[in-house]
Amino acid sequence: MQSKSLALVFTCAVLGFVQPVSAVTTNPATEKVTIDDAEPFCNSGVPPEWRDAQVVEGVNIEESRICNPDNPADIAAFVKGTNNVSMQTLMDTNLAADALTLTNDMDGDGDPDHIIIKLEIMELNGHSPDFPGVVPTFDIAPGIQPSFWVFTPKTRDMSTKSFASAEANPMLRLPAPVIRVEQGDVVWLVVENTHYFPHSIHLHGVDHPYMDHSGEGNDGVGQTSQMDIMPGQSKTYVIKPRQAGTMYYHCHVQPHTHIPMGLAGLFVVEENRPNNWVQTFNVGAGQVRHPSVAVKERYAREYDLHFQSIDKELHRMPQAANDPRLIARAMNQEYDITDATDDYFVLNGRSFPYTMRESLVVVQPNEKIKLRVLNGHTDPMALHIHGHKATETHYDGVEHPPASRVTRDVYSLAPAQRLDLELNTTDDGLHSFGSGLWMFHDHTERAFTTDGVGEGGSISLVAYKDYLDDKGTPKTHGMDLSHYFSKKFWQRKIPIWQNWADDWGSLGAPAGSGSAAPASATASAVSAATPSSGGAAASGSFGNLLIGLFLGILAYIGFVNRAFLQTQAGRLINRQQGN
Amino acid sequence: MNTKIILALGLVLSAGSAIAAEEPQIIEHNQMMDHGDGHLMDMEGGMVMGQNKDKLPAGCDRVSEDVQITVHAGRKYSKSFPGTMFGFDKHEWRVKPCTRLTVHFINDDPVRHQWMMHGLPKFMYDKGMFHLEVTGPAKVSGTLILPLEDRTYLVHCDIAQHMEKGMKGQLVVGKGSGTFPSIPGVTDPAIFDNYGPVQAAPETAAVSVPALAAAPSSAEPVAGNGQTAGGAPLFSGSLVIGFVAGVFGAPMAYGYYNRRLKGRPLGEILGAVAAALKGFACRLNALLRWLYRRFKEGQRYLSKDKN
Repeated sequence: MQSKSLALVFTCAVLGFVQPVSAVTTNPATEKVTIDDAEPFCNSGVPPEWRDAQVVEGVNIEESRICNPDNPADIAAFVKGTNNVSMQTLMDTNLAADALTLTNDMDGDGDPDHIIIKLEIMELNGHSPDFPGVVPTFDIAPGIQPSFWVFTPKTRDMSTKSFASAEANPMLRLPAPVIRVEQGDVVWLVVENTHYFPHSIHLHGVDHPYMDHSGEGNDGVGQTSQMDIMPGQSKTYVIKPRQAGTMYYHCHVQPHTHIPMGLAGLFVVEENRPNNWVQTFNVGAGQVRHPSVAVKERYAREYDLHFQSIDKELHRMPQAANDPRLIARAMNQEYDITDATDDYFVLNGRSFPYTMRESLVVVQPNEKIKLRVLNGHTDPMALHIHGHKATETHYDGVEHPPASRVTRDVYSLAPAQRLDLELNTTDDGLHSFGSGLWMFHDHTERAFTTDGVGEGGSISLVAYKDYLDDKGTPKTHGMDLSHYFSKKFWQRKIPIWQNWADDWGSLGAPAGSGSAAPASATASAVSAATPSSGGAAASGSFGNLLIGLFLGILAYIGFVNRAFLQTQAGRLINRQQGN
Repeated sequence: MNTKIILALGLVLSAGSAIAAEEPQIIEHNQMMDHGDGHLMDMEGGMVMGQNKDKLPAGCDRVSEDVQITVHAGRKYSKSFPGTMFGFDKHEWRVKPCTRLTVHFINDDPVRHQWMMHGLPKFMYDKGMFHLEVTGPAKVSGTLILPLEDRTYLVHCDIAQHMEKGMKGQLVVGKGSGTFPSIPGVTDPAIFDNYGPVQAAPETAAVSVPALAAAPSSAEPVAGNGQTAGGAPLFSGSLVIGFVAGVFGAPMAYGYYNRRLKGRPLGEILGAVAAALKGFACRLNALLRWLYRRFKEGQRYLSKDKN
């Protein structure tokens, strides 16, 4: 009993000694992070008349009420061919004179049936041995420049907008252009490989013979069809597609990296109709400003929606070295896609908020809109359109019987799948809930972030025209969007709620805490250091505990044998004195 | 006799033409439309910009000399320069001020290449450019008159990555005005590539190595300056707790021994000790497994971060 109370007293004494003296402390004040680099919503600088409905070279071009519309001269050349437009119109484009040759009305129905399409392969945001930046630049969101490889219509002159600018000219962009031909056309698809790696084209879902008439492989698969197209070489794929539908084309060389790098696009075969001049290219996808005859029979407007996802580690590799051998080694021997996760999600080559400059689906009440959707992700996606239930009409380019079509609000697409949707804007509580600015996005949560920062990713809007101004700026009714147009926001430096809760910034950043998570490299270094030092401290104190235990036992043994120790000590002292 | 010679000549000629047929035919683009301002173009993609055969630049009272150069462009000219993919057959040209220079540009590849020159006076040359472009195998020719100043002009192919991967040169007028970086065989790049050994191990593994290495080294608490390797001071709270446990625990353990085991056979004592040790080992095992799981979770976050 006595020993127990002694232990209790001792323990209390120790605890009392250890406990710190408490005092009233004040938490740090809120520090405001300024947004000083926000771009305006629309800085495309295009002539306003580009957005209007107009006729160029006899080609009807529909209105495009968005910030960054396609150049009408481009549309005219894509519909008539570079061989059938005036020199002035051709000069207003960046196209090579031989980019698109349309000739030979073989069936005499008023439209050309021999189509020669020339494609080049360009690198965007590539390495330079001369300066630390990338060239030619293509931003998917403010300040975000992963490298890409894209098929492009054959262009001429400079890759950039001008000698002073590093920005890519408008033909060079993500995604690879949508290619449109008419059912039954004889199409020569000429790939001029201007890139430093081998590439090919595989016509996924497009009717094509395995071999062409000259005995060359036509399937674009190096292992089974024909050797890849080497740098500086050219190959012509010859097809005469018998079936219409929304199809796909992509490079089939090291496809697990070349498709994600951007070498993939929609390939649409339009139904045969008389006098049907289709818009051969839709650069940057989005609205088709000159829809085919068959589409116009049933729909008010047509939009191409190409979703893609990007692993930033892969897309950094072409920027990390200049020597093609080093880039090939990094991508073919070191990169492991089975360990990869995607960081960026784009719709028609851009992430939110840039999607709102180019990829709005502009509608009016009581219309039917045709959406052609391609899942170019490495994972399945779940497209959702707010306020609407659209009807699935075609799967992978094949029409679904009208009686068994599904109307729903989440559309599943496996990678490489295409889905044609009929968006009906009749306000009946089923097809549409009425006018507004209705978001649409892949409902896979990470897909509406940009490297984990939300809201980003492939979000865009179904915008009723009443909610757009003349420049195509949505008249939003929510928060100020300027922080989304700041590079700082995507660098995780802006506490998004800092101005919202109240005047004194209850949800801002505490002063002195610095901005949130910096680059991921630092973050991982910190987290790498934490467990190791924590482990060291833990094992250190455990060691001390053992030492203490050992000393304690030693002290007890000493206490028990104190008489013996005293005698021994006395003897030792005596011996010393004796000597 | 004569007929024999003609016959032999004919054979030689036909043999020659057979060989020529195997080589790709170089198409000459010399029927171009003039769009004014020295801009010529044809529908096969041949193009000249900034052509100037007769306008003298300021300060030149006459053309100092007429010079013709032939420049080949293509994949095969990268052969002598490891780490490039495209190239010109020559990467530096030198001319006198006020030279009238005609460039015969031959592209050997069936894709576009360019011989683009920047930095000319803008009032004479649109965008300050002289530019030849053609899809091979083909030839296009253009002429310009160079200004009076000593200056080095950048010459390149502006197709994305063609300059970076070797299609870069310089035209030096007079003494020139310095050099441009990363011209194959002429100048070094401004930014060098790193040809170090392959980083075969993924970065996540590299991160975990120091973390693992730190643990065993800190497990040894021996240190001369009263500090353990892990950095925790020797005299600490845990040492005191250990000391207290030792002082009070030892008599309790001794008492337990006296009460339960004293006088028992050695085997039983050993058995009891073994049982106690086994219990302790089980608890230690559980603790270690818990710690390992925590560590693995940490690793998962790390590797996710890297990807």
